[in-house]
Amino acid sequence: MQAAIWLIILPLLTAFFIGISKVFYSYKLLFPLVTGSAILYLYLLISVIDHSYPPKVYSVGDWGLLGINIMVDPFSGLLLLMIALLFLPVIVFSLKYITFHTHNYFILTYIMTAGIAGMVLTADLFNLYVFLEVSSLSSCALVALKKTNKAIEGTFKYLVMSTLGSFFILLATILTYDLTGTLNMAEISVAFQDIPFQIKSILMAFFIFGYAIKIGLIPLHAWLPDSYEESPIPYNVLSSGLVMKSAVYALIRVLYILFGFDFLDETGMLQIGVVWGVVTFLIAHLLAFQQSNVIRLLAYSSIAQIAYITIGLFVGTERGLIGGNFHILNHAIMKGTLFFVIAIFHYSLTAVDIKDLKGLGFRFPLLSFTFVVASLAIVGLPPFNGFISKWLIVEAALDAGFIYAAFSILVGTFLSLTYYLKVIVTLYTKTDKTIEMKEPGLALKLPTIFLGSLCIVFGIAPSLPLSLIDKIPTFLLDHEEYISILLGG
Amino acid sequence: MELPFVVVTILFCLGIYTIITQKNLIKIVLGFTIVESSLILIFVLVSYQPGGTAPILDKAYHLVVDPIPQALALTSIVIGGSVTAVMLALVIKIQKRYRTLNVDKLRKLKG
Repeated sequence: MQAAIWLIILPLLTAFFIGISKVFYSYKLLFPLVTGSAILYLYLLISVIDHSYPPKVYSVGDWGLLGINIMVDPFSGLLLLMIALLFLPVIVFSLKYITFHTHNYFILTYIMTAGIAGMVLTADLFNLYVFLEVSSLSSCALVALKKTNKAIEGTFKYLVMSTLGSFFILLATILTYDLTGTLNMAEISVAFQDIPFQIKSILMAFFIFGYAIKIGLIPLHAWLPDSYEESPIPYNVLSSGLVMKSAVYALIRVLYILFGFDFLDETGMLQIGVVWGVVTFLIAHLLAFQQSNVIRLLAYSSIAQIAYITIGLFVGTERGLIGGNFHILNHAIMKGTLFFVIAIFHYSLTAVDIKDLKGLGFRFPLLSFTFVVASLAIVGLPPFNGFISKWLIVEAALDAGFIYAAFSILVGTFLSLTYYLKVIVTLYTKTDKTIEMKEPGLALKLPTIFLGSLCIVFGIAPSLPLSLIDKIPTFLLDHEEYISILLGG
Repeated sequence: MELPFVVVTILFCLGIYTIITQKNLIKIVLGFTIVESSLILIFVLVSYQPGGTAPILDKAYHLVVDPIPQALALTSIVIGGSVTAVMLALVIKIQKRYRTLNVDKLRKLKG
């Protein structure tokens, strides 16, 4: 399991060397360094994902339980799979797309990826906080990269909200250490069985408040559309695909492993989570409908999709966890495709408003078709991947007795269809205006079409990712298994 | 042992109150540093033992303070410092562009 630690070290090293190469070689070394490291990273990721079942523990420096432990189980394997699918396309895309502050962009992207990989792999509560801060600080800096007025204002909002969230997470971490005397997740989980119910509930409230800000559940969502609007668009792919998802991952890891499923059931947190998710996506769909800027529309759609994931993960049955986790993967792919297409439109003719997209469907037939595929997938129409994960979530909600949630998801599907149709209809409206544009190269088209085709492939053959996802619920619903592996390793 | 925790709680709430109510950007950043210091103080308090000495592995020192929270406190000081630095950098940018530090006057982003 030596490869697992390199998942964190390699991006950090690359970021460091990009900084050095800027000083000595300017732009000469950027391309080989960035692509070489991304390809090596892909290889490492695949080799770690391949060994994610049965779960393995790697103790850094052989200190055992005293030291820093890294654990790879199917749930972290899924997040690593998402990094593997998104990271190389984003890097290829950005090499062509980013023309300003190129070095800074790649340094920050690599540091952000290191933070996300760290969050996904670690089995230590304080390291989780540190990596969370690494990823969210570098992501804040990426939002501000364009240095326009809107970008800076959005970054300040983002930074304020995300730091507020981290404070509550840090507070909960300290109090957990005070109560249990350890930071290892398995040991905390064992020690938590003797802690009184009320104290545990307060700790859980702190954790949930902190992570809910990072995830962007309504009413804590205000920073998200603002921070997306003026940031470099390839970053948005990583942000909605990985940064938000890693916060979801951390929340679920903390809730299911530290507190355990029984405690969640006892406190009624599962019901609260489902209701919160329903409220969030209904409001987010209504807000998305009013937007005239496509990026803001996609940002609100992201909030709504995260709410579906929350519902799936909080339903508390095996099927719900599978559906929620599949939707995590699907949303990353679908939203990545949508953002890529918008990025190409922005690159060719600086179009970000819906009215600017008029008639582009005839100028870019293949890209527009990809956009249509991804948006129908995100709405949840068969035969695309979004349909299957949404269907699993609806089914799980019905099985667990959350009839209102299942019904609202269907209502939400129609709401989201309305605003995506608005964009699609504009795309295919004939216009007399002659359009001046730069021709997008293959480096921009290829990642887009790759992710778009994954929407169809995962829709037709869902068993490909589901073979990994099927193993997740065993380690979440029953935390004894996770604990025994971590303590025994 | 009770009084320090009360002080820390007051500091924490004061910081959060500052962040929520103040309109001036610099004061908001100050609120963040207050909350952060209160959290670092909690770290120190958690590890404190009356009469404890530095954690040196030796027979002569049997009453030692817990070293882990102090190491964690150092880490969170570093993180807090960088967060404050990024925030202040943004405040400088905002001041240069808008010629104001009032939150209510920054209204480019809506909806």
